[in-house]
Amino acid sequence: MGFVRVHDEVQEYEVFARKTRLEPLRQVGAVVAPDDELAMAYARATYDEERWVEMMIVPKAAVIQLWAPGEAEA
Amino acid sequence: MRYAEWCIAAPTLEADIAAAAMGLDDIGHSRVLYGSLRELGTPDVPDDPGSYANVPYLDRPWTDWTAFVAANGVLDSAFTLMIEALAGGNVEVLRSRLKKMLQEERYHAMHGRSWLRESRAASAVDQARRDAIVWIGPEDGDVDELHGKGILSLGVRELRRRLDEQVSGAPASTPIDWKAWDPVRRRIVAGGIDELTLNMLQGLAEKRYMPAGA
Repeated sequence: MGFVRVHDEVQEYEVFARKTRLEPLRQVGAVVAPDDELAMAYARATYDEERWVEMMIVPKAAVIQLWAPGEAEA
Repeated sequence: MRYAEWCIAAPTLEADIAAAAMGLDDIGHSRVLYGSLRELGTPDVPDDPGSYANVPYLDRPWTDWTAFVAANGVLDSAFTLMIEALAGGNVEVLRSRLKKMLQEERYHAMHGRSWLRESRAASAVDQARRDAIVWIGPEDGDVDELHGKGILSLGVRELRRRLDEQVSGAPASTPIDWKAWDPVRRRIVAGGIDELTLNMLQGLAEKRYMPAGA
């Protein structure tokens, strides 16, 4: 059985949230969606079990990595 | 409840979770609305099939994902517009209680809009839009009367205009014959939910799995 592609193009979004204003935002998970609106709806539906004071999503493509685990610091 | 039926059948895992979350939101919204009605002195209605004033679109389970998408993008938007009109009206209980509902519905709208863009759901959208217009009711009817009294901040014309703006579809081609409109159940066609749906709503379906004597 093959896989059926649901969306023509999707992108991955990282989900960040925090419970109090004092703590820093932390990565709580990721969602995959074809556009920002659906990504927002999915992030809220998937990760709203806790009382976050703030939640935001970032397209993974927008993240600029300086180095990865195992790589020497540039 | 129709949302919940899709929480293991949507095209992606994320959509499954969203269906479950939106179903839970809407159960919460009904509880708030029923609570508000009770507080405003509306008597409880008997819990029988004939008393369910649902739109025909919800009579039977949806057999296709496009039906879910149209319900989410069109019907949910129409219900939210009415909630917005109540929250903007002059009844204090509703003004204060319905705000959280509108915040949650924002995400339902985003979900619906995005899936509408992705899906070929034209015929389901047409049917859902028609049911929504019928549910809002005729011009110069009860909704416009409530708007006149300030209970609703929006009248029929404005509700329809905003719905079309959100759905961005062509207006329904066939005109609506309001003569057969039932102002209590807010629908034209007869019928209602089936027995299976009623059993689910009343929790009878779960009771079958309870241990004897519980």
